[in-house]
Amino acid sequence: MASSAVFKLESLLEARKLDRTLAREPASPPPVQPTGIASLDAVLEGGWRQGEVSEVVGPRSSGRTSLLVATMASATAGGGIVGLVDTVDRFDPAGAARAGVDLDRVLWVRGPQIGVEQARATLVDRAVHQALRAVDLLVRAGGFTVVAFDVADIPPRYLRGLPHTTWMRLAHVNAGQPTVCLLVGEAAIGRSARGATVELDAAGRWTGTSPQSRRLTGFNIRARMREARHAVDVGPFEL
Amino acid sequence: MFCCLVLETPASPPGALADVARACSPRVELIGDRVAVFDARGLGRVLGPRDDIVLAVRRLAVERGVPIRVAIAPTATAAQILAHAGTKEIKDTGSLFLKCLFSETDSRCLDDTLDIFRRWGLRTCGDIARLPRADVAARLGAWGIALHQAACGEDTGPLVPMQEARRFLERIDLEWPIEGLEPLAFVLARLCDGHALALERADRGAVTVTTRLTLVTRTVHERVLHVPAPMRDARVLRTLIVLDLESHPPAAGIDAVEIELGVVPGRIAQGSLLTRTLPTPETLTTLIARLGALMGESRVGAPSLVDSHDARAVAMTRFAPGDAEPRNEPRHSGTCLRRLRFPLAAVVTTEHGAPIAVTPSARSLPGGAVIDRAGPWRSSGRWWTDDRRQWDRDDWDVELNHGARLRLSRDRATGQWAVAGIFD
Repeated sequence: MASSAVFKLESLLEARKLDRTLAREPASPPPVQPTGIASLDAVLEGGWRQGEVSEVVGPRSSGRTSLLVATMASATAGGGIVGLVDTVDRFDPAGAARAGVDLDRVLWVRGPQIGVEQARATLVDRAVHQALRAVDLLVRAGGFTVVAFDVADIPPRYLRGLPHTTWMRLAHVNAGQPTVCLLVGEAAIGRSARGATVELDAAGRWTGTSPQSRRLTGFNIRARMREARHAVDVGPFEL
Repeated sequence: MFCCLVLETPASPPGALADVARACSPRVELIGDRVAVFDARGLGRVLGPRDDIVLAVRRLAVERGVPIRVAIAPTATAAQILAHAGTKEIKDTGSLFLKCLFSETDSRCLDDTLDIFRRWGLRTCGDIARLPRADVAARLGAWGIALHQAACGEDTGPLVPMQEARRFLERIDLEWPIEGLEPLAFVLARLCDGHALALERADRGAVTVTTRLTLVTRTVHERVLHVPAPMRDARVLRTLIVLDLESHPPAAGIDAVEIELGVVPGRIAQGSLLTRTLPTPETLTTLIARLGALMGESRVGAPSLVDSHDARAVAMTRFAPGDAEPRNEPRHSGTCLRRLRFPLAAVVTTEHGAPIAVTPSARSLPGGAVIDRAGPWRSSGRWWTDDRRQWDRDDWDVELNHGARLRLSRDRATGQWAVAGIFD
């Protein structure tokens, strides 16, 4: 009797596409998109889960963009295409190309060129809303391996001002698609139920001893991966 | 009765020869770019005997500025040979003109066979035609028969008239002027549905969409859309037109709507099991049009590298990813820069020219003491021009005490410092 009631309830949830809240094991491991960083992929069980909204968060200079670019490089190397919504136009194509991104396979959606550090709140707010609509269009279009929403320079207060349903709706649109929706921000924004949040912190990797030979060659990154039920420390790894 | 036109100079405008032939007869076959054959039966009743027909065709061609050679004969093959020879009657070495009937890929076999005829002392078409065909076939095989048929002026197949190029044009004259895009979208939907059906039947896809709106001011608002891949989906076409008109709206009410399509043969797509499935061209085109309407047309595309020493230079190209095999290239690690397109002014304290403390002009980007630095990297360019794109600066990579890693740049002309990017 109880099992038929459970079955009925599960069927109802499935019909309304709310079955992801059920605590049953999936039949097969979900498809993933590797990040391109072995230690992080190991913790993420292969990479970012497709059909989910995941996040890369951390303070300024913590390696968020480097991880995003590594994911883009991995996706384009696999023959996929990437949609990048660059909220305030901060993407550096030359650096991405050096990191192995196939630029021909990146759809770059550039937001307004505003100095977000000095811009009026209304301008930033408008840029965020525009970018969010662009993300929605990209995810709905389907066929993208990764859709990245880069709000790394947007102060969290602007994102907190968005309706809470925004992220649920985005997760709902992306559910079941072979697309990784990746949010890059300063603080956790709106990961989906089975998505992961990767918190980063980095130290600069400097080489050279003399002033002439000194170089900033990369980051030594420490990461903490959070999912719905557990959190794991990762690293350090180099980017 | 067939008439053949041969273009004398290849520099004539494309389609001119076909136009001349079409003006004479509806049954026209184009053979390559230089030859047209048309069915001249019945022209005698209008123009008179053969010579008059030839004169009339030649006059028409002269009027249209198309230099041609014309010949008329009972068969298309004979007309072609005569037109290439440029005479009424082929005499000595006329057999050489038989080559005009065959493609260039067959020229070697033809030359060999004609050489044999020459060695046999046969120089004219008549000489070859007088041979018994069975004997020619026994000695020279298929090529011998083909040349013998041609020498006899026999057609090996019927004339295949080409279809007249069809215009894909739909127009609606409205009873009342409409204003605004919403009511216009319904009209466009009707026109696009008709177009989609016509394209489907003709196995064609639209590559250009020309929208002409006749306005109440008696002016015509014309927009031309170039579609990256041939498409015939009515909804996609309508969406593209509406999005384009949203960006470029007409200045007044609309009296008449006309949509004309430029078409090419339909697209045949073959998927691969080994490559990832990409969005269809229709989906991508609609998506880019929607994104363009949202963000601005110039703000959507694929990033591309600029051949410049100016690290700030960026460019975009049309996003058109093709199928790609997965590759396993080694990834190059390195710092990624978040580039400030408008560098943020900063006050920088220096010691022996090197930055030791930074205070950006924005409070949201905290300053601090420099704990590590690299530089300066000097670059300059476009100093030979007067435009605003010239630059001359020293770049420094610095790490501040609170962990931020910045790229600073110092304009050498003004001495001003700015934050050009943030390493992240």
